[in-house]
Amino acid sequence: MFTTKCFIKKNKIGNFLKHVREHYIRDDISCGIPSCDDCNAEASSHLNEVHLNKCSLFKFEHFIILDTNVILDQMDVLEEPIICNVIILHTVYKEVKHRSLPIYKRLNAVLENPSRHFYIFVNDHHKDTFLPEDKNELINDHNDRCIRKATSWYMGHVPKRHFVLITDDAKNRQLALADNIPTCTITDYVKHLENNSILQDKLSRKDFHSEKEAKDIFPPHLSTAALLKGIKEGVLHQGTFRASKDNFLEGFVSVDGFTEPVLLQGRDGLNRSVDGDIVAVEVFKMENWVSPSEIVLEDEGVSEESIEDVEQKEQALKNTTVQEAEIKPTGRVVGIIRRKWKQYCGIIQGNSEGLYQIFVPANRSIPKVRIETRQAEFLKTQKLIVTIDSWPRSSRYPHGHFVRALGRIGSQDTENEVVLLEHDVPHSQFSEEVLSCLPKLPWIITEEDEKRRVDLRSIDICSVDPPGCTDIDDALHCRLIEEGKLEVGVHIADVSHFIRPGTAIDLEAASRATTVYLVGTRIDMVPGLLSSNLCSLRGGEDRFAFSCIWEMDLQANILSTRFHKSIIKSKSAMTYEEAQLTIDDQTKTDAIAESLRNLNKLAKILKKRRLENGALVLASTEVKILMDSETMEPLDVELKKMYQTNSMVEEFMLLANISVAQKILQEFPDCAMLRRHPTPPASNFDPLVKAGRHLGFDIQVDCGRNLADSLDRAVKPENPYLNTMLRMLATRCMLQAVYFPSGTLQKEDFYHYGLAVPLYTHFTSPIRRYADIIVHRLLAVICGSDSTYPDLLDKQKSSELCQNLNYRNRMAQYAGRASVAFNTHLFFKGKLNDEEGYILYVRKNALQILIPKYGLECTLYLVKKNETTLFEYDEEHQTQRAGDVVFHTFDPVTIRLQLDSSNIQHEKFSVLLVQPAIPGFSVPALSKDDEQVNDAEPVKKGKKRKNIAAKSPKKSKS
Amino acid sequence: MSQKIHIRSASASNRVRPLAATQKYHRIFTPGEEVIKAAQTHFVRGHGTYEEGGDLKASVAGVKEQVNKLVSVRPLKSRYNGQVGEVLVGRILEVQQKRWKVDTNSRLDSALLLSSVNLPGGELRRRSAEDQHMMREYLQEGDLISAEVQSVFTDGTLSLHTRSLKYGKLGQGILIKVFPSLVKKCKLHFCTLPFGVSLILGNNGYIWISPTSNNVEGDEGGFIQNLEEVIPKDIREAMARVRNSILALAQNYMMLFDTSIIFAYEESLKYSVHELLLPETMVDLAVLTQQKLSMMEDYEFIN
Amino acid sequence: MSRNRELISKIGLRLDGRRPDELRRIRCKMGVFSQPDGSAYIEQGLTKVLAAVYGPHQVRSRQKAQHDACIINTQFSMAVFSTNERKKRPRGDRKSTEMSMHLQQALLSVIETDLYPWSQIDVYVEVLHADGGIYPACVNAATLAVIDAGIPIKEYVCACTASLGNNEVPMLDVSHQEEILGGPTLTVAALPMSGKIVLMEMSQRFHLDHLPKVLNKALEGCKDVKAILDEAVKNHVSEIGSATGWANTTS
Repeated sequence: MFTTKCFIKKNKIGNFLKHVREHYIRDDISCGIPSCDDCNAEASSHLNEVHLNKCSLFKFEHFIILDTNVILDQMDVLEEPIICNVIILHTVYKEVKHRSLPIYKRLNAVLENPSRHFYIFVNDHHKDTFLPEDKNELINDHNDRCIRKATSWYMGHVPKRHFVLITDDAKNRQLALADNIPTCTITDYVKHLENNSILQDKLSRKDFHSEKEAKDIFPPHLSTAALLKGIKEGVLHQGTFRASKDNFLEGFVSVDGFTEPVLLQGRDGLNRSVDGDIVAVEVFKMENWVSPSEIVLEDEGVSEESIEDVEQKEQALKNTTVQEAEIKPTGRVVGIIRRKWKQYCGIIQGNSEGLYQIFVPANRSIPKVRIETRQAEFLKTQKLIVTIDSWPRSSRYPHGHFVRALGRIGSQDTENEVVLLEHDVPHSQFSEEVLSCLPKLPWIITEEDEKRRVDLRSIDICSVDPPGCTDIDDALHCRLIEEGKLEVGVHIADVSHFIRPGTAIDLEAASRATTVYLVGTRIDMVPGLLSSNLCSLRGGEDRFAFSCIWEMDLQANILSTRFHKSIIKSKSAMTYEEAQLTIDDQTKTDAIAESLRNLNKLAKILKKRRLENGALVLASTEVKILMDSETMEPLDVELKKMYQTNSMVEEFMLLANISVAQKILQEFPDCAMLRRHPTPPASNFDPLVKAGRHLGFDIQVDCGRNLADSLDRAVKPENPYLNTMLRMLATRCMLQAVYFPSGTLQKEDFYHYGLAVPLYTHFTSPIRRYADIIVHRLLAVICGSDSTYPDLLDKQKSSELCQNLNYRNRMAQYAGRASVAFNTHLFFKGKLNDEEGYILYVRKNALQILIPKYGLECTLYLVKKNETTLFEYDEEHQTQRAGDVVFHTFDPVTIRLQLDSSNIQHEKFSVLLVQPAIPGFSVPALSKDDEQVNDAEPVKKGKKRKNIAAKSPKKSKS
Repeated sequence: MSQKIHIRSASASNRVRPLAATQKYHRIFTPGEEVIKAAQTHFVRGHGTYEEGGDLKASVAGVKEQVNKLVSVRPLKSRYNGQVGEVLVGRILEVQQKRWKVDTNSRLDSALLLSSVNLPGGELRRRSAEDQHMMREYLQEGDLISAEVQSVFTDGTLSLHTRSLKYGKLGQGILIKVFPSLVKKCKLHFCTLPFGVSLILGNNGYIWISPTSNNVEGDEGGFIQNLEEVIPKDIREAMARVRNSILALAQNYMMLFDTSIIFAYEESLKYSVHELLLPETMVDLAVLTQQKLSMMEDYEFIN
Repeated sequence: MSRNRELISKIGLRLDGRRPDELRRIRCKMGVFSQPDGSAYIEQGLTKVLAAVYGPHQVRSRQKAQHDACIINTQFSMAVFSTNERKKRPRGDRKSTEMSMHLQQALLSVIETDLYPWSQIDVYVEVLHADGGIYPACVNAATLAVIDAGIPIKEYVCACTASLGNNEVPMLDVSHQEEILGGPTLTVAALPMSGKIVLMEMSQRFHLDHLPKVLNKALEGCKDVKAILDEAVKNHVSEIGSATGWANTTS
């Protein structure tokens, strides 16, 4: 079966250890070519002899063999279906994996696609193509030698077929030609392919700078060896580079040894680092340290060559950044340790002609990218994805290439796509494999099912949800069982019945982790058949549920708890409003109404008790965007209305979650999926405490209870919104709540700070959250209605799963907010409004203003460029004074909002002050003077920068 | 003293491949292998076998031996299994009341009873209590003796005796230990080689090499060690040569008996004594001896 | 998912080029020493182990002696140079003691101890190079050495490791590299002919669903090992036999 030849490989780790590993050489490895008789053709080979490549460089149809560098650099080209029948050598495959995991994954995706006819040939274990390493040979040379050896073996092995080696390594090419191996570069190859125009755009540009001799704009990077040496000796520091969102000439690197991140300024300071890169920095001596500028700078460069505007801005930056008090460690980037370049969304800047275009990423921490394209006119109207290839010293911008277009700029679909891409939300259609896991329709309940479940169809159960909700995952009931004793049931859709562990649908759901709600659309975690039909507890239909049933006395004390799977029939699917009306309407005395009233009573007691325990009431500005159903344009933005019933449903869901958390932890102390909300460090509360102090309130943050109490006390009758504002601030001080398997942490750390409960989990929304599915499965095991499976009880696996869930949840939240922000912008397009707002923060040169009506936060700049300011900033009291007008935190103001659409990439709000009037700064109210609007237009451009922070305050708990 | 160090790779020292002529087919059984199926009625379980599920299975790796109904599997190598009448060389381990404990390379220490030795003063001397006190005077810990198996106790312990003039305490000489199975069972285990060396080929794998003594033994009963006598150098060298030759044969799993040792000695003459310890030489010696033996066998066969 | 790196590549080969159900190369040699009664050397891949057996011989300490069976004394040690990092002490640490005990357990299950009252058998194993699957190599080497010493055993006792590659494919005879990268490793010592399991050890917890298939794979491995050892024993015996000219044999 295998020849037993073993070879020695040396590996050096730390203190020079010699590793010896076996390497088996086999004689049973197939060449993968179907017509080959010598090798027993493996079923896994996708190679196809009909669909061969044609390239005008070579006169024959051929198979392609690739070198590593081609795969690493030109993955975008390889992903195009024009190129097929490619043999990937195992040597190359391993090297790709070693060098870049993302590329490796993409390569795997291509390999798995049978229509692409890719095949992995295990040349390094094949008896004829294995080559031992020479002592004096570099690994690279050895790999190249292996590649050539394998190619020539193929040529000898299947003489009637032809093979072409594509490599960008000139030396390799030369040696290959000496061995009579047909070879060329990928660029030449693509140029001579038929239908190559798209492909050519996608070619990665590594060798740009050779085109012309330009002067170097950036200082050189140190060599890798010098970097490592420097880091080892402590002269240099390693860290992840974070670009400033507001100032393209500024960035930070967090490094060990400094408590504060190291500040980098200017072109020389940043030296071609891109947000996310791991860089090596040199920290200046203390006397050269500066403070971060609070100014906002935007890269307005239009072409690659001119750098004057940059120099000008650098100068401006220098002038503004001398402030003794707040100096930070400052340094400069001397080398890049690892690039973390990804694909970026954005648009073409669009004011240049020809082959080269400047690409402007949507993410403002990413620099503009120069790309080469033959379809510039088309791309100018599109949102597109671009990836960075290189950043030579002589180029002001990094060089990249076009990957694909997303759609027309400004269209709802495109924007949604961008939001999803930017937040890494998996949003492709469900695959056939996933859909095949769905139950066949019509779905019926069998006797078998009935036997296994408790039949609750006779009980009056109803669901309460927001209007238009199609994925109803919870329903409630409440009935009197004996005097002074109520039975309360929470019934959750039994999604785990349909999604069995390990199936394609399960894996897909686990990877998606959550349903993502965007304005006007929803990215489901599970296919629609489940989410809106079989799992949705619709009124009047028999559905499977997982029930959590308590017996309570009238004081809402739990007497007993039980969990079981059940069959329910919801009597009515109500909205919050309907439910509220039913409760309030005393004439209604049917079972549902009674049940709702009882629930409402209990919920009030529960809520009161919870608040007494120190649960926080946090405020957020969740808004709802009303869409025009036909044009898909936002009609109005409004705050979500809250009814008592909202709180009622919430209380019982919390109760169910807590009960379930206790149960699963008890049974699975090591692998229960729980959710915790860490206590924020005291320093997080600084802004809140400060703001409180200025207003004369003492906000105590030492524990949740005190915080809740002091927030309750902070009320000023003349400013009713003030309390809400404080709560919003408090919300921002919180940490993110996370999922975790119980075995990974100490019991004290399980605490949920926001809800003030020692244990919490998610059980109640399995349709839209994967964590709930896991919890359902755990609970099902406990109830004896299901069995365990390996990964469920594997602490390591659970931990990895939690990481993914946490990541996806966070991203889903951001995506949702980004979508709201975009639609708010859309709503303001072409509108000019005066709005009521409140000052959230007082800054040195600006006021941060919140407009509660839209949940919108914007910045009112107080200092205009090249002008002296009218305002005096009082740092201690956090006020701005102009004459007799003083701005305090949380003061009400009236501002004028308009969307500045001059830059389609970054549409921004222009903000002008209306009330209180300050001569020379504010503008009169809108109704009085309309001409002002027309004047405002030219002034805005380039002079004042108005920003909207896309962040809407978030609800970080639960 | 300058020493020559020989360094060679492992592959250089080969083992002796047997000559084609000596190849006979032998069915080899390994532990767990069935020797005879459904054997319980017709066969009797012997050494190296056990019964399981009615089948007779081998418990050692070796060849089958059958005597009538008794089936046993004999390993080619094992600890010494003594049988009455066999000649042994052993070492005194312990002096007890009325007996000595002797290490004979068998799985339990053997016993030499005070009553089984010839004490000075003639065969018919009565053993008195005094003799018990004197035992250590005759043989003490570490002394080497030659003896014969008198009987085997039920637990397998061998009982020895030295009631013959040829047995008794050993004087000047060399002891070699080889695997017991390499010592060929034959009539004569005391042999006097023509070059002034005497051998005791103990059946237990202990081989005693001593100079041939000229003086006819008296009636000392073999408790006299003459350590005063100086052995001439050529005899000592011959003894060393014999020792190394035996080692060479043993190393290569050659049977040890007078002829093979004499042949080996003769063949070894082309090497110096210390060269005999090199692995290559050992192999060479074994091969040559083997050839010589097979020639002799052929000769005997012809006659 | 990054921790559990792919142990079995897409093409179905492991890191060293084996298929999941293939053992590493086993080379063994019996009778490597002349001093002990039995000795053996085994290489399983790069794991190299020497074993020596002394006995049965008289028990030296009277307290331990048993009137109806022999006692088996095992000692496991690892040469200080056997691992990548030089070891501080070759034996006596907890792991070695445990190994010794496990080895004793495995041997006790096959050696017909009741044949040798008042006796003792000493088994010494020394790991010269550790590259995963140390225990199995020790058991296999000890078995060979015991056979070489002519001590009656019921049948071979063989050991093998198995693990789970990519969380689904059971794979045999885990190398050190795979031990480090992979998940739980199951070590099984078994009597391959009767299919009895003598010892089973897991490095981490297995889920019950995986256990049967991994265990079966390990047992298969034990059978394969047995076949290899058996051949080696037969070769060795016939070599000695023909060198001695089958003297002292009657058939």
